[in-house]
Amino acid sequence: MIKLNHKIKTLLASLTILFLANKISAQNTEYKEYEFNNHGNVCNFRYICYAQNGDNTFGKRPYIFILGKADESALETFQSDTLKNLTHFYNYMFVYVPNRGGTANNKLYCFESLTSMLTMHYQYGKENMFLSIYDNFINETDINALSLHNVFKTIASSQYPATSTDDFKENLAAYDAESEDEEDNLGTFYYEEEEKVNQELASNPLSSKTYFGSPKTFKFTLSGFIKDKSTGEALPFANVLIKGTNTGVTTNADGYFTLPKVPSDTIVLLVSYIGYATTSIYFSPLLPKNNFIIELAPSSNVLKQVTIAAAKEEAMLAKREVVSVIKMTPKQIEKLPNIGEKDVLRSLQLMPGVSASQESSSGLYVRGGTPDQNLVLFDGFTVYHVDHLYGFFSAFNANAVKDIQLYKGGFESRFGGRLSSVTEITGKDGNQKKFNAGTDLSLLSVNAWAEIPIGEKFSSIIAVRRSYKGFIYNKLFDKYSKSSSTSTLTQQDGPGGRRFSQNAKVTSYFYDLNGKFTYRPTQKNIITLSIFNGTDKLDNSIDNSNAPSFGGNTNSNFSFSSNDLTKYGNIGSSLKWSRKWTDRFYGNTILSYSNFYSTRDRSTERTNTNSSGEETTSKNGLLEDNDLKDYSLKSDYQWDISSFSQLQFGIFGTQYDINYTYSQNDTTTIIDKKNKAILAGAYLQNKFKFFNDKLIFVPGIRANYFETTKKYYYEPRASLTFNITDRISLKGATGKYYQFANVITREDILSGSKQFWLLSDGKNIPVSSANHYIAGLTYETTNYLFSAEAYYKQVQNLTEYSLRFNPSPMGVKYDENFFSGYGFAKGIELLMQKKMGKLNGWVSYTLGQARNHFDVYTDTYFPANQDVTHEFKIVLLYNWKRWDFSATWIYATGRPYTAPSGAYSVTLLDGSSQDFYTVTAKNGLRLPDYHRADISANYKLLAPAKGDSKKRREIGYIGFSIFNLYNRTNTWYKTYSIESGSVIETNVNYTGLTPNVTLSFKLR
Amino acid sequence: MLHFHLNSDSMQARISIIVFLSVIILVSSCEKEEVSEFTDTPIIESYLQPGDYLNIKVSRQIPFSSEVSYSSDDIDNLNVQVTINDITHTLQPLGNGNYIDSSLIVSENDNYNLSFQFNSKNVTAYTYVPGKPTNVTQSATQITIERIDTSSGFPSGGLTMPDPIEITWSNPDNSYYLIVVENIEATLDPIRDFGDNAPPGNFFRKQPSNNSSEEIRSMEFQYYGTHRIIIYHVLPDYAALYNQSSTSSQNLSNPSTSITNGYGIFTGLNSDTLIIDVKKP
Repeated sequence: MIKLNHKIKTLLASLTILFLANKISAQNTEYKEYEFNNHGNVCNFRYICYAQNGDNTFGKRPYIFILGKADESALETFQSDTLKNLTHFYNYMFVYVPNRGGTANNKLYCFESLTSMLTMHYQYGKENMFLSIYDNFINETDINALSLHNVFKTIASSQYPATSTDDFKENLAAYDAESEDEEDNLGTFYYEEEEKVNQELASNPLSSKTYFGSPKTFKFTLSGFIKDKSTGEALPFANVLIKGTNTGVTTNADGYFTLPKVPSDTIVLLVSYIGYATTSIYFSPLLPKNNFIIELAPSSNVLKQVTIAAAKEEAMLAKREVVSVIKMTPKQIEKLPNIGEKDVLRSLQLMPGVSASQESSSGLYVRGGTPDQNLVLFDGFTVYHVDHLYGFFSAFNANAVKDIQLYKGGFESRFGGRLSSVTEITGKDGNQKKFNAGTDLSLLSVNAWAEIPIGEKFSSIIAVRRSYKGFIYNKLFDKYSKSSSTSTLTQQDGPGGRRFSQNAKVTSYFYDLNGKFTYRPTQKNIITLSIFNGTDKLDNSIDNSNAPSFGGNTNSNFSFSSNDLTKYGNIGSSLKWSRKWTDRFYGNTILSYSNFYSTRDRSTERTNTNSSGEETTSKNGLLEDNDLKDYSLKSDYQWDISSFSQLQFGIFGTQYDINYTYSQNDTTTIIDKKNKAILAGAYLQNKFKFFNDKLIFVPGIRANYFETTKKYYYEPRASLTFNITDRISLKGATGKYYQFANVITREDILSGSKQFWLLSDGKNIPVSSANHYIAGLTYETTNYLFSAEAYYKQVQNLTEYSLRFNPSPMGVKYDENFFSGYGFAKGIELLMQKKMGKLNGWVSYTLGQARNHFDVYTDTYFPANQDVTHEFKIVLLYNWKRWDFSATWIYATGRPYTAPSGAYSVTLLDGSSQDFYTVTAKNGLRLPDYHRADISANYKLLAPAKGDSKKRREIGYIGFSIFNLYNRTNTWYKTYSIESGSVIETNVNYTGLTPNVTLSFKLR
Repeated sequence: MLHFHLNSDSMQARISIIVFLSVIILVSSCEKEEVSEFTDTPIIESYLQPGDYLNIKVSRQIPFSSEVSYSSDDIDNLNVQVTINDITHTLQPLGNGNYIDSSLIVSENDNYNLSFQFNSKNVTAYTYVPGKPTNVTQSATQITIERIDTSSGFPSGGLTMPDPIEITWSNPDNSYYLIVVENIEATLDPIRDFGDNAPPGNFFRKQPSNNSSEEIRSMEFQYYGTHRIIIYHVLPDYAALYNQSSTSSQNLSNPSTSITNGYGIFTGLNSDTLIIDVKKP
């Protein structure tokens, strides 16, 4: 019995021991194999992940990366590795990387991107990242060449082997280190070598497939937010597309998007935005379905024009749900040739449908319309005057601008108050993570900006620009200031004393100031304050106050000064509150103020003190003052009702307060108009998507109530997009548009034509209206875009203005004459664009016609002043290493002009003689054709980036550009004079060859 | 029609570029000479001042383009008729487009209607002679101005600047008045040194206005001696001549005129004259 007991005990004990031993040694023997990157990528290989405890997730735990011996595969290394069995490393994740042979560099190259991806960009710091190299041919020099000590806490190699497990000891306290890599990742980066590392993958951990399991959720709504990876700036109107389907959406002005009915949670999203690399995002059940943040890294060499997402393997169309839209970002504008300043609006002139031969205006002539028919919005407030320096530049500082969208026609119900087009400019919010600043210096102006974030929730940007009287400013100022005043002060009381030295101190400059402050109290709310001021001061005055004062024992003193001062500009500001109420409902409210002011003083002022000591001041000459104030409040909402319907609606109200006075001498007021009125209304539109987004139909209506006429105005609109195939789309749009505030051009011989704003009064100045009809066809592949679009616009109740003496002998004073007319514009635009590659760009051709009909001139149609029949533009961009070259060539047939048919002189009572010209056909002749070429070359300035010898950070660029390369003499207009019994015609020309150098620096 | 199913994208690109360029070349080769039309409209110049003989000058426009031609009318052989207070007179040609009726003296408040045929159109105009300026006063009949010599720099110790001359008149109906100041000396004695500039003429004028007063500053006088200050009472169509039309091709338009089928001026006017002496100290 005792024998049996002993045997059983032993058996039991051994069984127990065996059992326990088994238990212990029944460690996880399962490993997981993954593929890193796609075929063709330099870092494409299969790697193995293994954890003793069977936990295969990548999270808060230590990692040991292992590089095996030469030419070993990951599996081979795994199988021969003993480190993985040590109990010290029970909760560690082992990653086996194949040794693909070649140089040490080749073997070690991919570690950084792999580690970054697996740890979600070092989410828990680098204190628990370890590397063990079994390859004896790799030494410390090789490791340092790739700065791997910045990636791993400890590296064991044959040169410095690990002495104990303590070398790889887990540091429990160091898991939430916010790495100072933040610093390194702000900015634009380049790699100085032939083969570019896939930036997308290096920077976005979601860009490779890490989840290989089965989908868990189907048909859900995905909502989120897209922003720039380095600055945190929200990206408005970016495209999000579900790969393999036609389903996609665009982000709204604040970067939010909602994708309803996402098929499953393992789809791939294609996200694109101009100037950024198209990014694939591999969605997985592990990722959040609300507030899903996607970060895009800026790309260095892609310049896309229209909002298309293109995957690398196949041609895909993002759904362009809007018709006739052009999109630009300042990154693109930097590369185009410029004259002194990279200019937002001037760059839009290179697009089809926008006239490029109107050199003296930076306002846009879109599809035969005039700049006052183009609504310019900056962060929600209306900008009434967009010119600097006689129209040569626009009032927008490109450093403060994030995004520009130009709606060339048929625009949706959300916008109103203008007849032709809408330019929507979104300002930068400012870097949310780090302080950034920069400055630009060109031959024309100085530009400085700073982005200041405070804490996590507040970001701001301030940008200032001012011209200085350098080479380019003087050149343009001299040319345009002489030509805009066609006669000198001969008819006024000129200062008789020419003998006094007249100090003509001509000071002129323009400046603008942009400020934007953004506060994000919660994930769902954003409050923004945006401020803008752009002013031009042009001063040709003569100041005689330097002359000695005449005084002492005399009867009277006097002093006089002769002014020629023009001051005009715009102040605007908006306060905006955006809120994402739910996943599907988003709204924003904007309170804005915009003030346009324009004063012109061409007079002589004389102060006289008579013998009794009384002082009288009198002004003789022209004084003009136009002041417009716009107070607006509007609210816009967006409701994603379902996957095929998105409702947009809003209300708006504007109080206008417009004053205009024009007087000659102190005493004679010729025009004195004051208008005050409220314009209010609401709009409603719905975006329907049928047949799996093949057909998109957006009907809408906008209703207005105008206080002056006490009438309601309804503007029905609709647009349709039919995606016949993945590559071919048909589009159409139509709508009715009203305009209540108009720019009146007053012809004036003394001071050139002046423009001023007036409200319609329903009688002399009627409310103008337009009907749009647009149809288009696009064909798109990965690399090319072909587009053809035809438009027809009918415009009614246009107003022209003339100030004349009433010639009837019955006699009345100066008479204001408003003449009404109507007109139309029609045309076809063709565009061909190469989107990808080192050499890219576009070619466009527009055939158009714009005609007006004013009874006061003639009883037939005549060509409008802005009518250009043929316009051909070619823009080429080429990138080579650090250089960006661009060249543009514009060819446009001549604009119409009125030539005299005859001339005569009349002798006046004082013996002097006055010339007059008679005309027959208004705009009956054409100026010679306009063409010019511009070129530019930008050289990127790079500085070494911290922690990586190969990485370089862009800190600026030097740009060289030549405007009007072959110095073509383009005629602006002609002037006439009578000499020796015949009529002499003189051309006034546009700018000739103008070179420019720009230096641009930024911190990050 | 472009076919998109070609071998490669770059082939498509080349073809498209060729198409674009050929369109441009085709179109730009169709240039045609453009000439502005010319209509031979006569120009009339006629000022009707009380006491003058009724006179009219007719001339032609200078055409802008050299390829146009005048009408067949002879400028000295027109049937120019003026109706004064319902009596029609025919004027005699004097040559060079001048027509006169030496039996007709212009008088105040008469109504004048002009008509003649030219280029198959009936050219007509109407005017009347406004009243003489009334209650005209001048603040001073002489003004003393120091000779200013700035060639050696600014005078130290200051200059004596006399008060401006103020002219006033009655203007109950807000009509237009024009002041012309003319030096009537045989030789001109300048007040200041004109240096390199061309010497100014012996007259200057003010802008027509519908005020009832005007100031002439001492700085405006250029020469010493006796000056005539003529105050003209003019009609709006004359004042309109000072509102010169633009000389720019961007906004040329026909000049304002009160003449039908003609251009120029056919206007009545009246005046009063004052004298002022500009003296040395």
